Amino acid sequence: MKTKKIITRAFVYAFLIAAFVVSVFPFYWMLAGMTNNAIDVIKGKMTFGGQMINNLKVLITSHNLTGVLANSFKVSIATVIGTLLVSSMAAYGFEVYESKGRNRSYAIILLSMMVPFAALMIPLFRLIVRFGLLDNHLALIVTSLASVFLIFFFRQSFKSFPREIIQAARVDGAGEIRIFFSIVVPSMKSTYAAAAIYAFMTSWNAYLWPLIILQTDKQKTITLLISSMSSAYFPEYGVIMAAIVVATLPIIILFFALQSYFVQGMTGSVKQ
Amino acid sequence: MERASKKSFIKIQNRYGWFFVSFALVLLGIFLIYPILNSLYLSTTSTKGIVQKSVGLTNYVKLFKDQMFLTALKNTFIFFIIQVPIMLLLALALASILNDKSIKLRGVFRTAIFLPAVTSLVAYTVLFKMMFSLDGFINTILMNLHIIKDPIPWLMHPFWARVTVIIAMTWRWTGYNMVFYLSGLQNIPDEIYEAAEIDGASKLQQFFHITLPMLKPIIVFTSIMSTIGTLQLFDEPMNLSQGGVTGSTTGPGNSLLTMSVYIYNLCFKFMPNFGYAATVSYVVVFIVATLSIIQFRLAGERK
Amino acid sequence: MKRVLSLLLVVVMLLSMAACSKEAEKPATTPDAPAVAGNSGKVTIWAWDPNFNIAIMNEAKARYQKDNPNVEVEIVDIAKGDLEQKLHTNLASGVTAGLPDIVLIEDYNAQKYLQSYPGSFADLSGKVKHSDFVNYKVGLMTIDGKVYGVPFDTGASGFYYRSDYLEQAGYKHEDLVNITWNQFIEIGKKVKEKTGKKMFGFGLDDGGLMRVMLQSTNQWYFDKQGNINMANNEALKAAVKAYKDIVASDIIKPTSGWNEWVAAFNSGDTAAVVTGVWITGSIKAEASQSGKWKVAPTPRLDVAGAVNASNLGGSSWYVLESSKNKDVAVDFLNKVYAGDNDFYQKILIDRGAVGSYMPAQGGASYAADDAFFGGQKVYTDFSEWMKKIPSINYGLYTYEADSAIFSVMPDVYSGALSVEDALKKAEDQLKNQIGK
Repeated sequence: MKTKKIITRAFVYAFLIAAFVVSVFPFYWMLAGMTNNAIDVIKGKMTFGGQMINNLKVLITSHNLTGVLANSFKVSIATVIGTLLVSSMAAYGFEVYESKGRNRSYAIILLSMMVPFAALMIPLFRLIVRFGLLDNHLALIVTSLASVFLIFFFRQSFKSFPREIIQAARVDGAGEIRIFFSIVVPSMKSTYAAAAIYAFMTSWNAYLWPLIILQTDKQKTITLLISSMSSAYFPEYGVIMAAIVVATLPIIILFFALQSYFVQGMTGSVKQ
Repeated sequence: MERASKKSFIKIQNRYGWFFVSFALVLLGIFLIYPILNSLYLSTTSTKGIVQKSVGLTNYVKLFKDQMFLTALKNTFIFFIIQVPIMLLLALALASILNDKSIKLRGVFRTAIFLPAVTSLVAYTVLFKMMFSLDGFINTILMNLHIIKDPIPWLMHPFWARVTVIIAMTWRWTGYNMVFYLSGLQNIPDEIYEAAEIDGASKLQQFFHITLPMLKPIIVFTSIMSTIGTLQLFDEPMNLSQGGVTGSTTGPGNSLLTMSVYIYNLCFKFMPNFGYAATVSYVVVFIVATLSIIQFRLAGERK
Repeated sequence: MKRVLSLLLVVVMLLSMAACSKEAEKPATTPDAPAVAGNSGKVTIWAWDPNFNIAIMNEAKARYQKDNPNVEVEIVDIAKGDLEQKLHTNLASGVTAGLPDIVLIEDYNAQKYLQSYPGSFADLSGKVKHSDFVNYKVGLMTIDGKVYGVPFDTGASGFYYRSDYLEQAGYKHEDLVNITWNQFIEIGKKVKEKTGKKMFGFGLDDGGLMRVMLQSTNQWYFDKQGNINMANNEALKAAVKAYKDIVASDIIKPTSGWNEWVAAFNSGDTAAVVTGVWITGSIKAEASQSGKWKVAPTPRLDVAGAVNASNLGGSSWYVLESSKNKDVAVDFLNKVYAGDNDFYQKILIDRGAVGSYMPAQGGASYAADDAFFGGQKVYTDFSEWMKKIPSINYGLYTYEADSAIFSVMPDVYSGALSVEDALKKAEDQLKNQIGK
C-alpha cells in the first residue's frame, strides 16, 4: 500500500516536471534571445550572449518603449476594472434572477459570441468612426466592457454559489445590490482573479481591433509595436525578443499576484 | 395577502434582474448585435471592395461548390475533433493534481504551466518554427534517441503540418484552461473530500464522484469556449505556415487552411469580397451553435 | 456601497464621454479641403519595415522639409499584412477619416486596390514624369491610360551565389551567366557532390520562385486580357516541371517560412539564393561571409522568349484621393522620389534600396564596387538586368492563382498528379473561385 502510493507520487511528479520543462523552455529561449543579435537568434542559438543592454537601448530610444507601454497599461487597466464590474453584474442578473426574457437575451448573447470578429469589423469600424472615437483608446475600452466570454464564465461560476446564503441575507434585510457587492463578490475571489487575468491578457494582447482603430504612432500599444518590428525584410530579432519579454512580464506578475486566490478556498469566507 | 406580497416580491426581483444586466445589454446591443445585423445583410451581397451588388442567397449556394471552403471545413473539423479533447483532459488532469495541497511547489508549477498562454504570438511562432524545422531541436532529439531514422518533415508535409499545429495549440492553451478549472475547484468545499477520505474513497474515485460532477458547469464552459476557439482557429495555422516570400497556401497543399483563415483571405489577401466572407462567417456561427447546444444537452444543463 | 457607486459612475462617465466626443469630433470629419499650394500642412504616410521603407521615408522627409519647413510629415510604421487589413477596412467602410495621405502598396496588389476601390486613389498622370521610371513598374499602376502612383523600389532578381563553394565545384562566374534552370540543377548536383552543400534553401509551398520563373518568360497565370491561362500555358508547365525537378534532385535544403529560408544562407549551409535585390541586406548581415558572394543573372526557363532577367516583389507609393493635402503629398513624392538623384544614391548605400528611377542609375553609388561581393559592381549589374525585365500585368488575382497552384503541388511532388492534370485541377478550382 505504501509503495504503491510512492510510485503514484513519483508518476505525478514526473508528469508535472515534464509539463514544467515543456512550458518553460520557450520562455527560457526568449530570455536568451533578448541577449543575442538577430543573426544568432535566427540560427537558433540557445545560450546567453552580451547584447541585452544594446537591445534594450534600441527598444527604448528608437521604438519609444515607455510611451507604448503607458498606452497598453492605460487601456488594459481601464478595461479590466470596467469589464469585471459590467460582466459579473450581468452574469449575476442572469443567474440569480432567472426570467424568460432574460434567458432569451442570454441565449442571443451567447450565440453572438460565435460570430467571427472578421465579419463584424467593418460595421463596427463605421460605428466607431461615427462616434468620433477613431485613434482613441476609448474605442478599445468601450467595446470590451461587456464581454460575452466573461458573462458566460461568471454565470457558470455563480451556479455553484449557494442560494441559501442569498436567501439568508434577504431575511436579514440586506438590499439586493448590497448582497451582490458585499456578500457574493468577496466570496468569489478565485473566480474574479481568473477573470481579471483573462481580461487583462485579452486587452493587453489585443491586436486586430487596436490595429484598425489606432492610427498614429503616438497611440500605439505594445502588440502593434512587436508586430511592426517583426515584419521587416530583416527583423531585428534580438530587439524583438527584448520587446516580447517586456510585454510578457506584466501578465506574469499579475498571475503571480493573483494566484494566491486559487489556493485559498472559498469555504472560509462564505461561512463567516 | 400572501399572494400579493409574493407577486410584488417577484416584481421587485424582476426589476433588479434587469438592473444587473442592463449595462451589459446596452453595450452589447450597440457594439455586438448591431454589427451582426449589419453583416448579416452584407452576407447577401457580393463585393469587390466597394463595388457591391446584391446577390440574395447565392453566396450560400456557392459555398457548397467552393473547393477551398470545403478544404477549410475539413481541416477545421480535424483540429476540433482531435485537439480539443486532448487539451481539456490534460488541463483537467493538471488542475486536479495541482489542487492537491500535498503537492510541493504548487505555485511554481502553476505559473510555469500557465506561461505558454501569455507568451506573445510572435515569439511563439518563431520558436515553434525553429524547433520543428528539418534540422531543428525536435528532430535532433528524436534522432538521437533513435525513435526515428530520418528527420520528420514537420511543416512541409500535409499530415505532419497538422500534427505540428495540434501540438502547438495544446502547448499554448492547456495551462490557460487549467486556470479556469483551478478557479472552479476552489468552489468545491474541502469538507466533501475529507468526508470521502474518511469513507475510504481513493483519489481516482474522488475525482470521478466529486470533482467531475461539481466542476461540470466549468467543464461545459471550457468545452464550449474551446469549440468556438477551434472553429475560429486562426493564429496558429496562419503564423506557423507563413510561407517564405509570398505565402501562397496555408500550410503544404492548404493543409492548414481553416475557416477563419479563409475568411481572412477573402477579405484581405484575395480580391476583397466582404459579402462572401460574411457568408462563410455565418456558416461558422451555425456550426458552433449546433455543437454548443449539443454540449449543453449532453451536460444536462438547462438552456 | 460607496465604492460600488463610484465604479458605476466611471462606467457612466466612459459612456457619456463616448457620446460627447461624437458631437465634438463632427466638424473635423467634414472635408473642407484647405489644400493651399503654399506647401504647408500635414502629410501622413503608411508603410512597413522600419529598416527599409520607413527609414527611407524618413530620409525623404528630411530632404523635403529642408525646402518646405512648414510641411509636417508623419510616417506610421505598420506591418505589411496589418497595413493591408487597415487599408481594406478603411476603404471598404467608405469612411475617409482614418485614411493617410500616402500609402505604400506592393506591386502584385496594385491593380486589386485600384480596381476594387475606384475613385479612392489620386490620378497622378501629368503630375509626375512617369517616363523617368522603369517601364514595367509604371504599367502596374496604370488603368485606362491613367497612372495612379509613384514607382518606388524594384524587385529585380539575381542569382546570388557563394563564389568559394562554386569554385570548389569547378565553376567560374562565366559558367553561371545566362544559364537555364536545367543547367542550374546540374550545377547544384555538382556542388552537392564536391562540397557537400545544398544548392539553395527552397520553400516547397512558396510561390515566389514560380513568379520569378514566369515573369522571365513574359507570361503570367493570366493572359493579357486577364483571363485564366493555366492548363495550356507552356511557360507555367515548364515552371511547375522545374519545381518538381528541383525538389526531386536533392539539391535543396527544404525550408518553411522566411526565417528558415534566410538562415539557410546566413548559416553557410547553402551555396545560392535566387530572389529579388532586396535580399542583399539580409545576405550582408552575415559579415563573416564578406568577399565570398557574387551575383549572376537570374536563370531562365527553357521556353521561347525567356530572358535572364526577372522580378520578385517591389512596391510603390500611392496618394489617396480623400487626402486633405493632396497637392502637398504629390509635391513631396515628386520632389524626392521623382527628382532627387542624390536621394537614390543615399538610400542605395545606406539601405541597399534599388529605386526604379532611371536617371539615378548613372549615379556614383550605382557604379561603386562592393567588397562584400568580391569587388563586383552589383548595382550596375542589377540596373542593367532591370531594363530587361518583361513588363507583365499581374492582374487582380495573383494570390488566388498562387493558392490554387500550390494546393496541388504536394501531389505533383509525390507523382500522384501529372503536371498537366495538376494544372487542369488548379485551373478549375480558380475558375470556380473567381467566377470566370
